[in-house]
Amino acid sequence: MDAFGGPIWSMAASPSGSQLLVGCEDGSVKLFQITPDKIQFERNFDRQKSRILSLSWHPAGTHIAAGSIDYISVFDVKSGSAIHKMLVDRQYMGVSKRKCIVWGVAFLSDGTVISADSAGKVQFWDSATGTLVKNHLIADADVQSIAVSDQEDSFVVGTAEGTVFHFQLVSVTSNSSEKQWVRTKPFQHHTHDVRAVAHSPIALISGGTDTHLVIRPLMEKVEVKNYDAALRKITFPHRRLVSCAKKKQLLLFQFAHHLELWRLGSTVATGKNGDTLPLSKNADHLLHLKTKGPENIICSCISPCGSWIAYSTASRFFLYRLNYEHDNINLQRVSKMPAFLRSALQILFSEDSAKLFVASNQGSLHVIRLLEGSFKHLHTFQPQSGTVESMCLLAVSPDGNWLAASGTSAGVHVYNVKQLKLHCTVPAYNFPVTALAIAPNTNNLVIAHSDQQVFEYSIPDKQYTQWSRTIQKQGFHHLWLQRDTPITHISFHPKRPMHILLHDAYMFCIIDKSLPLPNDKTLLYNPLPPTNESDIIRRRTAHAFKISKKYKPLLFMDLLDERTLVAVERPLDDIIAQLPPPIKKKKFGT
Amino acid sequence: MRLCIAQWGLGSCRGRQNPRRLPFTSRSACVLIPGQRSGAAWVMVQLRPRASRAPVSASAMVDEGQPASEEEAEHGLLLGQPSSGAAAEPLEEDEEGDDELDDEAPEELTFASAQAEAKEEERRVRETVRRDKTLLKEKRKRREELFIEQKKRKLLPDTILEKLTTASQTSVKKSLAKLKEVNLQKKNEECEKGSDSKKAKEKVQKVQTVGQNKSYLAVRLKDQDLRDSRQEAAKAFIQNCLYGPGTNRTTVNKFLSLDSKRLPVKKAAAQFLNNAWGSQKKQNAKRFRRRWMVRKMKTSKK
Repeated sequence: MDAFGGPIWSMAASPSGSQLLVGCEDGSVKLFQITPDKIQFERNFDRQKSRILSLSWHPAGTHIAAGSIDYISVFDVKSGSAIHKMLVDRQYMGVSKRKCIVWGVAFLSDGTVISADSAGKVQFWDSATGTLVKNHLIADADVQSIAVSDQEDSFVVGTAEGTVFHFQLVSVTSNSSEKQWVRTKPFQHHTHDVRAVAHSPIALISGGTDTHLVIRPLMEKVEVKNYDAALRKITFPHRRLVSCAKKKQLLLFQFAHHLELWRLGSTVATGKNGDTLPLSKNADHLLHLKTKGPENIICSCISPCGSWIAYSTASRFFLYRLNYEHDNINLQRVSKMPAFLRSALQILFSEDSAKLFVASNQGSLHVIRLLEGSFKHLHTFQPQSGTVESMCLLAVSPDGNWLAASGTSAGVHVYNVKQLKLHCTVPAYNFPVTALAIAPNTNNLVIAHSDQQVFEYSIPDKQYTQWSRTIQKQGFHHLWLQRDTPITHISFHPKRPMHILLHDAYMFCIIDKSLPLPNDKTLLYNPLPPTNESDIIRRRTAHAFKISKKYKPLLFMDLLDERTLVAVERPLDDIIAQLPPPIKKKKFGT
Repeated sequence: MRLCIAQWGLGSCRGRQNPRRLPFTSRSACVLIPGQRSGAAWVMVQLRPRASRAPVSASAMVDEGQPASEEEAEHGLLLGQPSSGAAAEPLEEDEEGDDELDDEAPEELTFASAQAEAKEEERRVRETVRRDKTLLKEKRKRREELFIEQKKRKLLPDTILEKLTTASQTSVKKSLAKLKEVNLQKKNEECEKGSDSKKAKEKVQKVQTVGQNKSYLAVRLKDQDLRDSRQEAAKAFIQNCLYGPGTNRTTVNKFLSLDSKRLPVKKAAAQFLNNAWGSQKKQNAKRFRRRWMVRKMKTSKK
């Protein structure tokens, strides 16, 4: 719905959750009512001169603070009129030609308004009198974000230089009751602007232009000082963005607004182990498919035979048919999608490319049969009991009988595709599923969770396999559990049923179920020892987890056929080279 | 090209100047008519004689003098008489004056000489008229040409107009061809450009660089996005205040090279070479090299 105020710069929901405030480009603050079925416009507040860049509600819901360019207004919600207009200095103790932009405001329950502006100042205002109480200059560049904790005794601000500052309310002397705001900790974990910060009960979370999400637990709040209390930096997405059509050796890359289809190159040269061979035929960029409209692509998939591409945005579903003739490719859109196929969380094609499985964001699972140039809706599995999660994963068995779906908090559901009914449900686990796959002949379902646990469940037997029970009893190696990134893809070798191939962002691993499991004392990461070592030592140190860290950071890895593995790397330097410029920092000696 | 009318006393026509003005001075003007492209032509045009204001003293009238001699010629000037010089034209008043002053019998004029004189006069008059006509004609012709040139300058040069018409025709043909054929190659290209298959059918050659100097482009309005002025203003605002002129931003190259500057063994910057430097020079050098090679081949063949 259109707010009719131009581009919207800020939005804030009331503490009660029933009202929504929107700050627009033309300087108006609009109030909306939130009802269960829709959002309805209620009224406009007094219109200000310049655009409203930040909004904050008083915890009681009676007043709001709106930050604009060169001033902050305090409004009374009932009347909608501006009570105070507090002018912000353009520069700390000085004058400047550049206007001061108030990037963030926060309203505390005692009436203090905290503002963060583009001159690098954090200021404390008294909203009852409309005056400045305290002024802190913390940076040379803009202070772009602010977040207050629930107890209102600490808040965090992020600057454009990449520094995150923690402010706390501490008592003036050790036994006095008077308290004041003090800047306690600086953290420099970012290189570019920090555009958003959040304050959880035990951690400070910051994210910015340099694509890292940094979670910094606060040591005084953390009870148990273990691995969980360390700094976490999340760089790569935790879901799969690359699909592979194995038979045609095609890779489909999902970007935010477009899809790219590439055919892999090939080589005729040979060499020994560890060589890099030159390509005789280069990789071919076959297709660049842009999405219509401003929405991002949520999920995409290519069929194993390479003739169908499907992708979904937040409101629409697209299905394309590809024809390959000689060296050219012909794309045809399948029009008239059914009404229930709106937004999908996950899309998957069956191994024979005859069926399409779509998991919608309402929790239902649709099975569609694909015909030449058209489709036929077969069945819809309605959501089972349990709340619907926002992340859904699908896996289909190579023989086409079984479909596994993890989308609810009730566990992973396994459906019988031929009979179109629910077969069984894997017991629920309290951590979300990050990867799901069904082995070819044994029909074992392998599930990887976000706490680095891996389970193997036999679908025909409807119980966990013996190997899975053994490893659960023994427990994984502690280094395995301390990995930062989750497993995003699991695949299998068609001729070796004892092997499971899985990967995360910084390693890929082949689990050999026939070998003994490592305990905490053995070396987890043991690359192949040199050949002059004796066989006994090799046998002694060999264990089930064969890890290789050769390719990193990995986005995708899969087995194309029995002898070929494809790995997609995304170097961090490439990403950094394309980022917007950071603030200049003068370093000694340069 | 200016018309300069110079008023000359009669003496000046003969090369002698006398600043005094006299009654019944016949005025003749030498007119500079701007020629077409050659130098100006001097033409004698007769002007109306003006009567002087001050009465002439009798003594001046009484002055004697033969017009033949120089002195008398001077005197003749005083009186305003024309002497029988080469460029002199017979004037009636002077004859009258002559008659008054001269007591001698009038000169004998034979019929033939008088006829010859009259004929010559006629010829001269005819010639002047003809010359005038031709000059006017030329002037008119020049004016017309000027106007035509100016008009031509207003319109686009012919070559560009031709190109525009032919280009529009070929583009129409191309669009029809695209609609008819389901060409894989074309679709491949279009798909790679990122459009849907339907769009590929409807798309006409978007940009046509027309004109020799390529100072403008012709684009379809349908292909452009609708602009929202408030959205544009918002985008410009955020871009300006974060990355605009007053902000203290460094370049990505400098940012990535900062580490290599502080290493114990200094390394080069992340993007050390500027490949875009001197592109025009490099192009010129390439062109020159090609031409030199061709020349070298030719001379070596000979």
